[in-house]
Parts: sequence; C-alpha cells; structure tokens
Amino acid sequence: MPDISDTTIETDDAKATAADPHAKKKTRKTVGFYLASGWLGLLVLVTFLGAFLPLPRWDESSVDYLGSAPGTPGHFLGTTMDGYDMLSGLVNGARLSILFSFFSVLVGGSIGSFVGITSAYFRGKFDIVVTTIFNIMLSIPNLVLSLALLSVLAYSDPDHPTSTSRRVVVLILSLVIVIVPILGRIARSSTLQWSGREFILASKSMGTKNFTIIRKHILPNVAPAILAIGFLAIGSVIIVEGSLALLGIGIPGGASWGSMLAAGRGNIEFSPHEVYMPALCIAFTVISCNWFGDYVRLRLDKREAKI
Amino acid sequence: MDFLSLIVKRLFGIIGVVVIATFLLSCLMWLLPGDPAAVVAAGAPDAVINEMRRDLALDRGVFGYYIHWFSGLIRGDFGAYYLNGGSRPVSAVIKATLPVSIQLIVYSQIVALFFSIPLGLISAYKEGGRFDKIVSSTLFTLVSFPAFALALIMSLVFAVKLGWVDPIGYVKPSENLGEHLKLMILPVTSIAVGLTSSYTRLLRTDVIATLKEDYVTMAASKGISNSRVLWRHVFRPSSTTLLTSAALNMGGLIGGTIVIETIFVVPGMGYEIFYSIGARQVIAMQTYIALVAFAYVFFNSSVDVITNLIDPRTRERRA
Repeated sequence: MPDISDTTIETDDAKATAADPHAKKKTRKTVGFYLASGWLGLLVLVTFLGAFLPLPRWDESSVDYLGSAPGTPGHFLGTTMDGYDMLSGLVNGARLSILFSFFSVLVGGSIGSFVGITSAYFRGKFDIVVTTIFNIMLSIPNLVLSLALLSVLAYSDPDHPTSTSRRVVVLILSLVIVIVPILGRIARSSTLQWSGREFILASKSMGTKNFTIIRKHILPNVAPAILAIGFLAIGSVIIVEGSLALLGIGIPGGASWGSMLAAGRGNIEFSPHEVYMPALCIAFTVISCNWFGDYVRLRLDKREAKI
Repeated sequence: MDFLSLIVKRLFGIIGVVVIATFLLSCLMWLLPGDPAAVVAAGAPDAVINEMRRDLALDRGVFGYYIHWFSGLIRGDFGAYYLNGGSRPVSAVIKATLPVSIQLIVYSQIVALFFSIPLGLISAYKEGGRFDKIVSSTLFTLVSFPAFALALIMSLVFAVKLGWVDPIGYVKPSENLGEHLKLMILPVTSIAVGLTSSYTRLLRTDVIATLKEDYVTMAASKGISNSRVLWRHVFRPSSTTLLTSAALNMGGLIGGTIVIETIFVVPGMGYEIFYSIGARQVIAMQTYIALVAFAYVFFNSSVDVITNLIDPRTRERRA
C-alpha cells in the first residue's frame, strides 16, 4: 500500500531535481495534469449536481434489472446483482468519498498545521511535547489506528447496532486523527526552514506580535507545501476509507465507493463491473490527487529555487 | 562512545513511544460500553465475566489494568482470545501467523527490488530518453494505484476470468512449495507494484546525482565498460536511500498487509488483526497493535543507527 509516510522521501527527490541544473526550467503542464484536473473537476461537479441528474435512485433496486451488464438501456453502467443502478451508486459514492476525504483533510490539516507551525515557531518545551505526540501517533500505521478507533468508538453490540450516522461521525473523526500528525509534521518542518530567515528576524525586531508574524509571513510561505501534501493526504484518506469498508467496518449499505466494492466482492464472478468500476473510480481519484499534488509541489520547488 | 549513547538514546525512544502508545490504547478501551471483559466475553454468565475482570486487573482502573497487561507482555504473556467459553493464548496464534506475514513481506520486497534496481539504473542512465519517460510516468501512476483495487482487479482477471491461479488460499511452503508460491503470486504482486514504483524513483534520483560525480567520468574515461561502471561505481554509493526506504517499509508493511491478506484469505498477522476486531477480541487486538507499533518504531530507529554506523557522512549531514 502506498503509505503516505513515503511522501517525505519523495519531497527530497523533488528537491534533488530542483537543485539539478539540467532539470526542466518550467513546470510543464503534462497530459497527466490535464487528465487529473479533468477527473477531479468532474467529481466536484458530480458532488454538487449529482442530486439533480436524471438518474434512478441509488438506494432503490429495480427488480427487472438484476446484474445487468453495462450498456443496458436506462442503466448506462449496468446494475448490481441486487438491482441497484451502478451509475447513480457511483455518483452518490463520489459525493460521499469526496465529502469525507475533503472534510477530514481540511479539519485534520488545519489542526495539524496550526500545531505544527506554532510548535516550530516557538520551539522550546512545547515543540518537544508536540514532536513526541506526533511520533507516537505516527508509530501506528494509519490503517491500524483508524481500525482501532472505529472498532472502539463505533462499537456495535449485536443487540444494539450502531446507527449509520454515528459510524460516519466516528469515521470522519478517526480520519481526522490520522491526518493531524501527517500534515502537522510537514507544517512543522517547513516552518523551521522559514522561521530563521532574516525577514522574520526583522519583523520581530520591529516588535510585531508573534501571531501576526505567523499569519503574515510564515503562513503564506508554508501553505503551498501543506497544500501539496494535502492533496496526497486526500488520496490516502480515500484509500483508508476503501480499506475500512472492505474490512467490513466502514460505511455499510453500498453508500461509498469502498462500501460498493465490499458489497460487490461476493458477486465478482457474475457481475464483475460491480467490482472493477468502484475500484477504478478510487484508483483514478487517488492518482489524480497525486498528479495534482505533484504539480503544486513542483511549482513550489521552482519558486524556492529562485529565492 | 558517541555511537553507544546514540543506541541507548534510541532504545529509550522506542520504549517510550511504545509505552505511551499502548497506554493510550488502554485508555481507548475504557471508552467501550461496559468494559473490555463484557465486550470480549459477550453473553457469558456474570460470574465468569467478574472472574475475568479480576484476572485481567480490569477492576484496578486504567493504570492497574495497563501495568498488569504490560508486565504480562514483557514476560511473554500476550493475553488470550476468549471465544465459546474457552480461552486461547494469543502467543500461539502469533507463532502461527507471523511467519506467513513475514513470507508475504519478504517476497514482496525481493520482487520489488528485483525489478526496481535495473529499472532505476537504466532510466537514470538514459535520463530524459524515451525509456526513462515511459518508465517514470508509468511508475508515477502505479505508485498511487491503491493496492486493494489492484488486488481485486487482478483476482478478477487472473483468477476468475482466466482461471490461472486460485483466487484465495494459502499453502505452507513445507507442504507444497510450488503451490505455495503460486498462491502467493497475486498478493505479492499487489503489494510489490507500489513498492517497485517508489524504489525505482528513489534509485533513479540517486543514480542521476552519482553519475555527475567526477570519479564516474574518470572510470568511464579509463575505458571500463558501461555496465561495469554502473554496477561497481554508481550503484553501490547510490543504493543507501533505497535500502533505507526498503528497511523502513518492513515495519509499515506489517500493518499494510491487513487488507491484502483479507482479500486473498492469507492467514497472516494482518488477517488476524482483522479477525480479532470482527470477533470483538479487544485484548488480543491491543497486543497486535502494540506489536505492530513496536516493529514500526524498531525498524525506523535501527535504520537510523545502522546508516549512522555504515555511512559516516550522514552524521555530518545531520549535525
């Protein structure tokens, strides 16, 4: 599994390319970049307009079409063995997956960045405590951590099953907890690169308040790095969500892509489109996020090299 | 002396992180409705559950429970599964499942290194050429291809449609080596594709940097053949990042194999973690997570210490 902990190493690799005089001078928009932004744009569109599309309801089964192949009139991408329309399922899944990943990365990233930036700016004991907490959280692989959190916080008694809404809340919460140290560490290390520069010192000597310095001078410089890793984080949150669903403790009932996969796995022999369609959707989204994040990072490195 | 103090410092670091992480897990268990004993032995008579509470020190509060559990862990008592009125020690389960996971991880690493070393060397040597472009963009796409999506699509194509291999199952290598390897193909490929991509990219970057060194030009100008220069003079100094990353992945993969083992029903540690969660065996789960965290932190720290030992340059660079 492409763990997000690889990202730190890949940042180094980009830096090596930036320092290399033979590297491309201009960040070219590659075909991959256009494909990725096209796919992500489509997803965003579907997220907002999905409810208005003339599609069958995703959670209503049509008895006449059980496991129809893609291309059936009225069911463009076919139906599942239980008669649910694939296209509307995928559209609904896109909404959920995008919402989940975007929301948890936004919240987790904000908390992580705030803690990371302040700890790197003030250093001292606070920094030691924060670094230790991040290291502890990162010592548990992110899938295992969210597994543990979900299984305890959304613990479902056989007699009193947990409600889906509680599961969703806990899932988002555990994804947030997973994201905080990842983005926090990135924010911390890139703040360290900036907090020693002369213009910060100049600003300090003019008596500017610490939080004003952070807001006006540090945040704009650190934001691109956080944004680039944030895109990668969205990708890995989608992977974690899919994995959790496959393990049977994600969102039940085929609502998200992962949950469609989990539901369709048993029918892989008779209606394979139930498996490969959501799998490819997940894969395309993750790949697009990576292309996009990489583009942001390359632009950032170019700017850094100029300074 | 300096080196010894580094090891001691790292050792304290490992112990500290694992102790705090597992303590937080214990606190998490306190949030379960009822308590761990009621959850683990759901449906058992009250007398049995009360006895369990005493045995597991659950009646002594979070700290009492944690100290009891941790001292047990150190003495090799890994807790137990409580199913169908009986109990089964976790250590026996680990003895059976850990080797399977290690096989899976080691095979994946071997396959990944086998492909990434030549790919990385050649694409760096022909930097900017057509081969390099194709390899780099393919790998960049594959590195982010989710392993479980790959696993499902491969089992659809190669097992269900083409029928080349069985979609699920595991055979011990001592029983039937051929069958063992055949069943391992799909799970190993699913894991190895992502690894190969990331290793190739790391090696490519390092080799490109090494190729610019004067001693490489010197070697080439002495008339040493290209392949010999690549292997003897370029590959060795360029391989440290690759090996570091490979070693770092060892710890992470133990957790990362959960989904793959579950999809292909490979009875390893990952599958056991999945099972213990499904069967609400929270005590066993706590032990597994502790072991995974320990492995992860241990590999991270030993990589640090070993690179420090082998390559003195890293010491200066860090300072």
